[in-house]
Amino acid sequence: MRRDKRGEDEVVVDRVACTAHGVCSVVSNGAIELDEFGYPVPSRLTMGRRDARELVAQCPARALLIARDR
Amino acid sequence: MSLVALLDDAGLTGRGGARFPTSIKLKSALETGADLIVNACDGEIGVHKDALVVAEHLDALQHGADLLARRVQWAAHRGSATERRLRNAGLRVLPVPSRYVASEESALVSLLHGGRARPIMRQAPISTGGKDAQGRRLRPTLVLNAETVWRVSQIERHGAAWFRGYGTAEEPGPRLVTMGGNVDRPGVYDSEAGVPMRDLLEAAGAVDVRGVGISGMSGGWLRGRDAWAATWSDAGLAPYGIPTGTGAVHVLGRSACPVDHLAQIATFAAGESAGQCGPCMFGVPAVASQLERLADGVLPAEEMLDLHHRLGMLPGRGACRFPDGVSRFVASGLRTFSAEVDAHLAGECVLMQERAGATR
Repeated sequence: MRRDKRGEDEVVVDRVACTAHGVCSVVSNGAIELDEFGYPVPSRLTMGRRDARELVAQCPARALLIARDR
Repeated sequence: MSLVALLDDAGLTGRGGARFPTSIKLKSALETGADLIVNACDGEIGVHKDALVVAEHLDALQHGADLLARRVQWAAHRGSATERRLRNAGLRVLPVPSRYVASEESALVSLLHGGRARPIMRQAPISTGGKDAQGRRLRPTLVLNAETVWRVSQIERHGAAWFRGYGTAEEPGPRLVTMGGNVDRPGVYDSEAGVPMRDLLEAAGAVDVRGVGISGMSGGWLRGRDAWAATWSDAGLAPYGIPTGTGAVHVLGRSACPVDHLAQIATFAAGESAGQCGPCMFGVPAVASQLERLADGVLPAEEMLDLHHRLGMLPGRGACRFPDGVSRFVASGLRTFSAEVDAHLAGECVLMQERAGATR
């Protein structure tokens, strides 16, 4: 993950929307792992703002969100 | 004094199991003009207290609801006696499918807004409103358990000091407990935090106690000897890692195999998942299938590690807390009944060992 001067965001998984494509694990270089059924672990992850936006944009199920409480 | 301040003084917390301060929920609801859903579903297995509140205290219950909101819906399982009672009283009933997660807070809000009775993924409390998966706007909605609403009406009538005359300083107020399982007199009992569990067990006529399950699928287990000695409160049960939760006490008799029981409940739980969130949809059935094999005495001991790993992967990974509850329930059972589990890993069952011992 790159350092990002623009600060950090927390990415959360929308558990209902997630359909285990696994793209997040690849895009995050393994910072997000997949469980035995292909679903992401952990459920929330803090990262640089740019990486966070990219990760959210890449999810084919649109199941990643930027946490509202930050 | 405002109702919020009164409930805060009384220290009323949600009787549906989550123990969240009712005053805080109400304050937020008043600010947003939230509607109220009175949850009388008794959704947890082994819980029958809301049915009793509706059957015996409906006037007080309605009074409580009127104090809390202008627009009230009454949630009850479709086809239940509780639903009939509420309809006969002319109340606006929200009929709920009798599935475990259907009466979860956000599932009820979804159902009220024309959606399915399934939990909603949310980033803020559902009481503040929001959107469902289809993008439908949800009005701010306060969901309170029927016993909680009844307590509100009692507190308004008798005062915070009366309420605090029951229970402990940390867990004040009277509370209903549903006793079931291997007891002579199953049913709903008036109780409070701080009483010896022995009193509850004796009142219900429990004799032959192998173990005691607390709060259905969202709770956990005590061994018989611990149950006779424990204090009925969250503090009293904390050493065992379980909450009093929904106030259900299920007595497992000496003639019952706890491993079989755990497998049965886990299999039931697997069928009750809403099937929305992968970790729950696949994780709970995987746990259940391992428990079934354990019950049958054919689970290799090395698979226990997988089972515990799977249990550890359930919490915090669903839209609702159902997988968290199942995980705690099963893990607590495996811990509490480790001797019985070991027997099953050796391909035997304690029941047979005990029977053989008795006839020897």
